Amino acid sequence: MKEKRLVSMKGIGKKFGDKWVNEQVEFELRAGEIHALLGENGAGKSTLMNILAGVYKQDAGQLLLHGKEAILTSPKDAIQNGVGMIHQHFKLVENLTASENIILGYKKTFFLNRKNISEEILKFSQKYGLSINPNDYVYHMSVGEKQRIEILKALYRGADILILDEPTAVLTPQETKELFDILRKMADRGCGIVIITHKMKEVMEIADRITVLRKGRKEGTVLKREVDEQRLTEMMIGKYASERKMKDRQVTNEVGLEIENVTIKNDKGFVAVENMSFDVKKGEIVGIAGISGNGQKELAEAIAGLREIEKGNIKIDHEGIKEKNPRQIIDMGLSYVPEDRMGMGLVGNMDITDNLILKDYRKKKARKGIFIQKKKVRENAKDVIDQFEIKIENIDAPIRTLSGGNLQKILLGREILEDPKVLIAAYPVRGLDIATTEAVYDLLLEQRNRGCAVLFISEDLDYIMQLSDRIVAIEGGKVAGIVKPDETTVEEIGMMMLDGQVG
Amino acid sequence: MRKKLLGVMSLLMVLVMIFTGCSQKSTADESKTEDEKYKVAFIYVGPVGDAGWSYSHDAGKEYLLKEMPDVEATYIESVPEGSDSERVLTELAEKGNQIIFATSFGYMDSVMNVAKKYPDVTFIHCSGYKTDKNVATYFGRMYQPRYLSGVVAAKKTASNVIGYVAAYPIPEVIRGINAFTLGAKSVNPDAVVKVVWTNTWYDPAKEKEAAKSLLDAGADVITQHQDTPGPQQAAQEQNAFSIGYNTDMSQFAPEAYLTAPVWNWGPYYVDTVKAVRAGTWKSAQYWGGLKDGVVALAPMTDLVDEETKALVAKEEKKIIDTDWDVFTGIIKDQEGNVKVQEGQQLTDEELLSMDWFVEGVEGKIAE
Amino acid sequence: MQKYLKVEKRNMNNQYGMFAIRIGGIFVALVLGAIFLIFSGHAPIDVYVTMIDGAFGSAYGVNETIVKTIPLLIAALGVSIAFRMKLWNIGAEGQIYAGGIMASGVALSFGDLPSLLLIPMMMIAAFLGGALWACVPGIARSFWGTNETITTLMMNYVGILWVDYLVFGPWKDPKGYNFPITAEFSPSAFLPTFGGTRVHIGIVIAILCSFVIYILLNKTVWGYEIRVAGENSDVAKYAGMNVTKNIILTLMVSGGIAGIAGMTEVSGVIHRLQSNFSPGYGYSAIIIAWLARLNPIAAIFVSFLFGGLIVGGYAVQTSGLPASVALMLQGLILFCVLGAEFFTGYRVSIDKRFFSKGEAKING
Repeated sequence: MKEKRLVSMKGIGKKFGDKWVNEQVEFELRAGEIHALLGENGAGKSTLMNILAGVYKQDAGQLLLHGKEAILTSPKDAIQNGVGMIHQHFKLVENLTASENIILGYKKTFFLNRKNISEEILKFSQKYGLSINPNDYVYHMSVGEKQRIEILKALYRGADILILDEPTAVLTPQETKELFDILRKMADRGCGIVIITHKMKEVMEIADRITVLRKGRKEGTVLKREVDEQRLTEMMIGKYASERKMKDRQVTNEVGLEIENVTIKNDKGFVAVENMSFDVKKGEIVGIAGISGNGQKELAEAIAGLREIEKGNIKIDHEGIKEKNPRQIIDMGLSYVPEDRMGMGLVGNMDITDNLILKDYRKKKARKGIFIQKKKVRENAKDVIDQFEIKIENIDAPIRTLSGGNLQKILLGREILEDPKVLIAAYPVRGLDIATTEAVYDLLLEQRNRGCAVLFISEDLDYIMQLSDRIVAIEGGKVAGIVKPDETTVEEIGMMMLDGQVG
Repeated sequence: MRKKLLGVMSLLMVLVMIFTGCSQKSTADESKTEDEKYKVAFIYVGPVGDAGWSYSHDAGKEYLLKEMPDVEATYIESVPEGSDSERVLTELAEKGNQIIFATSFGYMDSVMNVAKKYPDVTFIHCSGYKTDKNVATYFGRMYQPRYLSGVVAAKKTASNVIGYVAAYPIPEVIRGINAFTLGAKSVNPDAVVKVVWTNTWYDPAKEKEAAKSLLDAGADVITQHQDTPGPQQAAQEQNAFSIGYNTDMSQFAPEAYLTAPVWNWGPYYVDTVKAVRAGTWKSAQYWGGLKDGVVALAPMTDLVDEETKALVAKEEKKIIDTDWDVFTGIIKDQEGNVKVQEGQQLTDEELLSMDWFVEGVEGKIAE
Repeated sequence: MQKYLKVEKRNMNNQYGMFAIRIGGIFVALVLGAIFLIFSGHAPIDVYVTMIDGAFGSAYGVNETIVKTIPLLIAALGVSIAFRMKLWNIGAEGQIYAGGIMASGVALSFGDLPSLLLIPMMMIAAFLGGALWACVPGIARSFWGTNETITTLMMNYVGILWVDYLVFGPWKDPKGYNFPITAEFSPSAFLPTFGGTRVHIGIVIAILCSFVIYILLNKTVWGYEIRVAGENSDVAKYAGMNVTKNIILTLMVSGGIAGIAGMTEVSGVIHRLQSNFSPGYGYSAIIIAWLARLNPIAAIFVSFLFGGLIVGGYAVQTSGLPASVALMLQGLILFCVLGAEFFTGYRVSIDKRFFSKGEAKING
């Protein structure tokens, strides 16, 4: 049983345009194992798994499922061959119930006997220890629950090969633990599970075997018990990760950013941030710890002037911003690295030069009369590319094809170029590989040391602990506690994030 | 690089345009063809299948071809009355046509412009008022059969309300409404004619809707100055009666259709082509009536009683044989002011620029 | 069938490839058209030759195609500006009419002025007219979030009916026997023409506009704002741009330029105002703008070809083809060229694996 091969990928190659993103990759999945696919962003992990899931077709190589050669032309084909993939973005219909989503597009009958189906699905979910309520509507569900529905959906269609793309990126520590329990149970029942990730800690916690990809090629497959984090990192990035620079805190007592009894509503008109107060001093990094969707986005947007402040006020350098528009707030010295890089911070269809002047295009250095001085700003862009080590082939090409890390460097580079007084960084390393993550954190520290008030929003508690001078834990739009990292533990902050009070 | 290339190319294009623009020559003299066939052409504002205005001209063209087999006729349909007509006319002149019939008012400026460039081609423009050495206008006194159809309608109506679906408030249409009303009043002084404007010549749905609104307002006979049978169908659907226009429309509403004032261009086309060929043609403003046969009342159906038929025949004879015409006094306008004194007649000039309604018309000429 | 074809997204940056795909679209249209023509009893080659000959085959044909190009190009430039900001200005037709009204008003009121003064005045008036027409939907969109696709479209009817009102009423030619046209403008209100042709100076205005708008969109601060807001209005707000103001301003400039198309048409070709003086230039402009990928320079060529398509469409009628067939051919060509756009964004290929080793297939 243990040795049964579910998947064999032999000599897989995939080309986008002229570029090979996978080359000569061998991959094997056995029944009953949890196999981590590890690599930096852009290493070709998702592409490889998308081939397995029938989303892409390989340009070279052979794919064997359950020992037989398979040609997959669509995800539907893949599921018929027992392959289910859980993407980072869930593909659920929000206004249907859990059981409706699970049978959607699967049961061929026209009329649905809801009761029977609900019971069937409930039984099925209990088998794997996945607790769900089949009649709950998806829009009521937390991220973790939605993920469980996706897993059930795949299992219900008979999948015994399950691929999870960065499954923990959106989960709280507690939810992550639950997920891992479920995965282990499924593996014990004979499924083969692939987890795409770049989080070393999780790999060490859950995986049986680990395959590392680097630049589209396979670096090696190892058993977990034979390696340590150091060795894996080496396989991933090819050199020893540099030690983080020592923290040299120089917190002043001058306040850079003040949040005073602020109440903000979300897009639906509900209160998202309620009566929140804290401040960020110059030369200080304040980390906001909280599960996504607990008011972080609304708070950040309100500071940037993009969202109305219902009550209270926000002050930058002691000046209120309530009546100010985004332009004026930018001129007051605010920089903002938004959570949604491509949706708010950058324009994918424009080149790097146009993206770099997004905030400064009106200023003297970028314009001459009514004209933008493209030549001049293009030269400046070259300096930025060098300074931040942005990997870019054609400086005049639209940036949409760049990797997440490079995009983030462009965004962050632009935001700190003007030496801001206040910097908001919302999830600045989400989806980035280790090397870029380190670079981004170094940049944040640099800003802090320069005397900037940095508001750092993240879901990664380890990094918040490492980086922040103070941590504001929030829950349900309220401050659950303000602590110093050396006086608390990850567990304590985790409890605050969940319960809204110090436990 | 690419941008530069585009720049150069567009510059080149401008040069080509200017060059070809200046070197353009009128080449009408090439049109002396070796073909034995005598070439004439028609341009229509609508499609030939409209069962209306353009169709009536096309029927005239067919008549011409039957009468004169050595004539070759081309037509171009659905030509808008804007800048396109001038090009189409030029093209037809270039192609060696000797006579070009332009069958809509809106072609007037284009006809004048093209006629200047092609002095050897004869242009015959329907319903306009500008002429030149080689441009004549032609039209028919449609108001005469309209008057007769008014008689038919007034004899038929029980509610004394007759509906009139009209295109645009231009003299031609106003004249028709007035003549119709005078005809109706002559046999039924209580009859009123309700007018609805559609602001279109050719729109089946809109015309039908307009007819329905008239039927809802109590009309039991519908007539029209429109190019589609839409109003006829509306009348049939509501068990009312209808009088068509342009051509015999009996097939569209057999249970409602009474008669129609119709065009009969064929004889005029034959005469014109013969005269131009013989060299005896002179520019003129032709405005033929019942007497000349260019307009007529289509045969009345069995829905019209014998008494009315006889009455219509008598009135028709009066128009053809005597000096009496439809617009002979006393005629009053809607306010009751006398517009034409007893025994007086309106001049052609006055008819062609008519902008008032006679007594008995319910409706307004849009200002 | 579907199983044997691969459809994949692609990022095509190869200009020649894009060009080839569009040419391919035209070719497919011609083949389909030929089949249709054969079935309807016409010789396809003859029809095509007549069509091309009519539009481009003679100095006269080219001139006439250029006459058509002028309003098409100017209106297409107008809509391109709005489309760049993802403002769906479907109202170029109404803006053309509004521009025509304003230009005619100036021409009829100040006919004594010399050309050098009168024509620029007409042009400014036309711009203001078109701008006003687009400004109404712009304000509605900015302040109440109304969908500008619908409001601009509605404004078309208002514009068309305004012209009707004027030519039937106050502006009716007193010497025109009550026909619905205004008096002819005084000659100083005519745009000068080249030689004895109908090609007027509007072509220079149109091409000049193309370059000015190209520079405006690609080189200026305002153009930058339009492009950013067009790509993503959230980014624009984030960058501190006044999106509300830009929506109104952009729509006004867009409408104003379309208004100039109305001016060149009444002043350059028709020489008076009359009902329905634009046979749908404003709608064709939308297609042209898309085919040109909102590039003002490319719009010059697309408009020229589009003008040729219209002129050639009339030319085939002289060879005995009914107008409906000519229209059908025009439609077919447009359909295929627009359809070919799909292939610039996606790659469709035959899945070779099915034909290499046919035996090893285990599909469900």
